[in-house]
Amino acid sequence: MAIDRRSLLLGTLAFVGSARIGASFASEAQHDVAYVATARRGGDDYCVVLLRADGSIIREIPLSARGHDAAYHRASGRVVVFARRPGNFGVAFELGRNTPPVIFTASEGRHYYGHGSFSRDGRLLYASENDVAGRRGVIGIYDVDRSYKKIGEHPSYGIDPHEITLLADGRTIAVGNGGIDTVPDAWRAKLNIDTMQPSLAFVDAESGKLVAQHLMHGDLKSLSIRHLAQDKSGLIWFGGQWQGGPSETPQIVGSAGLDRDIKLVDAPGGGKDLRGYIGAMAVSKDGRYIAASAPKAGQVLYVDTETGKVAGRSTLKDVCGVSSDGEHDFAASSGFGVIRYETAEARVLNEHELQNIAFDNHLRRIS
Amino acid sequence: MKQTPKALVSLFVAIAFALPASAEKRPSHLDMARAAIETDIIPHIDAFKAAAHALPDAVENVCTSGSADARQALNKKFADAVVAYAGIDYLRFGPMAEKGRREQISFWPDPRGFVGRQLRLMLLDKNEKILAPGMLAKQSAAIQGLPALEILITDKDKPLGPGEAVQYRCKLAQAIAANLVRLADEVADGWEKPSGWKDKMLNPGPDNDTYRSAEESAVEVVKALLVGISLTADLQLKPQVDTKIRLTPPYQKAGLQKAFYGASVKSLNQLYNTLHLEAYLKPDLAWMKGWAVGTWRTIRSIDGAGGRAADAHRPDTPEVREVFDRMNGFRNIISNRLSVAAGLTVGFNELDGD
Repeated sequence: MAIDRRSLLLGTLAFVGSARIGASFASEAQHDVAYVATARRGGDDYCVVLLRADGSIIREIPLSARGHDAAYHRASGRVVVFARRPGNFGVAFELGRNTPPVIFTASEGRHYYGHGSFSRDGRLLYASENDVAGRRGVIGIYDVDRSYKKIGEHPSYGIDPHEITLLADGRTIAVGNGGIDTVPDAWRAKLNIDTMQPSLAFVDAESGKLVAQHLMHGDLKSLSIRHLAQDKSGLIWFGGQWQGGPSETPQIVGSAGLDRDIKLVDAPGGGKDLRGYIGAMAVSKDGRYIAASAPKAGQVLYVDTETGKVAGRSTLKDVCGVSSDGEHDFAASSGFGVIRYETAEARVLNEHELQNIAFDNHLRRIS
Repeated sequence: MKQTPKALVSLFVAIAFALPASAEKRPSHLDMARAAIETDIIPHIDAFKAAAHALPDAVENVCTSGSADARQALNKKFADAVVAYAGIDYLRFGPMAEKGRREQISFWPDPRGFVGRQLRLMLLDKNEKILAPGMLAKQSAAIQGLPALEILITDKDKPLGPGEAVQYRCKLAQAIAANLVRLADEVADGWEKPSGWKDKMLNPGPDNDTYRSAEESAVEVVKALLVGISLTADLQLKPQVDTKIRLTPPYQKAGLQKAFYGASVKSLNQLYNTLHLEAYLKPDLAWMKGWAVGTWRTIRSIDGAGGRAADAHRPDTPEVREVFDRMNGFRNIISNRLSVAAGLTVGFNELDGD
């Protein structure tokens, strides 16, 4: 859908209005913002929320349409929130600085998939995009200092790149190529389920060359790879969304490396118990545990990456956003306004419920 | 003053709307699921099955005789199948979701023109092997169902008939018709057989691998209703509202765009009425029932192609933009108010994640 520039500008003005609070906002943001999430307020109003560690809202920033995930660069405090697929806006702002946000849009014939990642030095932003006419995924490259001007593209080596993340080596981008062909004119209709080819690709951030790729074959050919997290050993953990028949659902959480093949987690009940759908992935701050949220099942699956086994499984209706909390715990947010803090063994530490707000798919840890 | 029958009906409707919604009997969640399955879903699936079963003979008659009567009969049978399918297009779960059956039956929307392209290749290739029973099911979903058959039966340059030049086309049309029979049978069987999807939804519990509670069964139906409203608004109406969107309407070649829209919204309206969600509204929200009636009246007052529906009940003809906006608003009301009041919480993320 083409972006409504008028409402986008109104959203921007609202943001600037909140920023006018000035120094207090700057200092508050610098010290207190713990999470960024997109959300729905009321029936059909969308926003970005900046949250304290206890889940309370510091600021709420209106958006013209539904947002998705945020990219964060720790050293600079830069945050970019992307429109949800097939939207085409990005909203960039800096925590701790009293400057207006920068709004940028996808180039002609492209739209965002809702995810992005900063380069290690923070000078570049990478975004997962759809080259609609070319029927291929691309990684858009943006110059942060030039108001997020697009300066290039790399291929994603697949269709439907969803989450992209810069690995700890600072030079490789992991891409979850969902494999599902969509065209904005047909909204979110899936056009190639019978021929889809999902993959986990590793792309050199500088040259754009393919470093490694794991294609989904055989019984996994309908497993759309979408969300990613890297553990302390360097392995990439992925959460998939099963596009085949429910009765054939395989395990849908797994790991792979640049030179290590895909290995699926042996979760009791399998992917069917998770309703074939992982909505978000996160890694604990210490890098040991992985969280995979399953909103259709209302579950979060925790995996100990040292053993590759399930460490815990919690239930929370419509849970989707997951993020680290402390060294090895997690925060999880739901479409019913709940933020819950729990251990990887699924022991609930605390829970906080906000009224009249529905947290969207992702919760990004900031501090 | 003498009351006309029409005025009496209006008065009755007004009184009915003034009553507190709680005066209605509140169906249990299991009753909701049962009513939806038995009153709406299975009858619509059976109607599609019957319509699909009529296609092979109709195709064969055209291919044998090539007569105008046979062509007219085939067009009618094809329209019946499209209309019947429109009544279950919202079913994106259960047997319809298994093995890609929905896409195989009706590969629409098709913004990249896969159906036409794949069909052209097949007609050039004239591969007899894929015409063997069961072989078409292994081909691209785009050429397995109603849209591919539509192209073959509406091609005025090379109409189906007994001639040698169109022999392969006829065989392909017959294979597609037979494939549609298979798909319809599989969907119907998947729902209706013992331990099928109907039984699965109506026997929720801890041992059920899909529905752990009656609430989950009823939520599945509400989600299907919401999906159906979204599909109709986004794919059938939005291209008429936003002229930048280029999307061919469903079954336009066969002149069935209006019939598809009419059957879609009629089926959704019936499903909504069957659920009786409004029975759970507190008296201060009882006005929603009247609003919902007006919204359905608005939705069904247009023909889905920029004109007025033949059976419209609204005195004026609303703009497509108004219908589109009301559908979106209605979807939110169902999701955020009506289903919540009925104890059926449809999660923001579980409904439409990414």
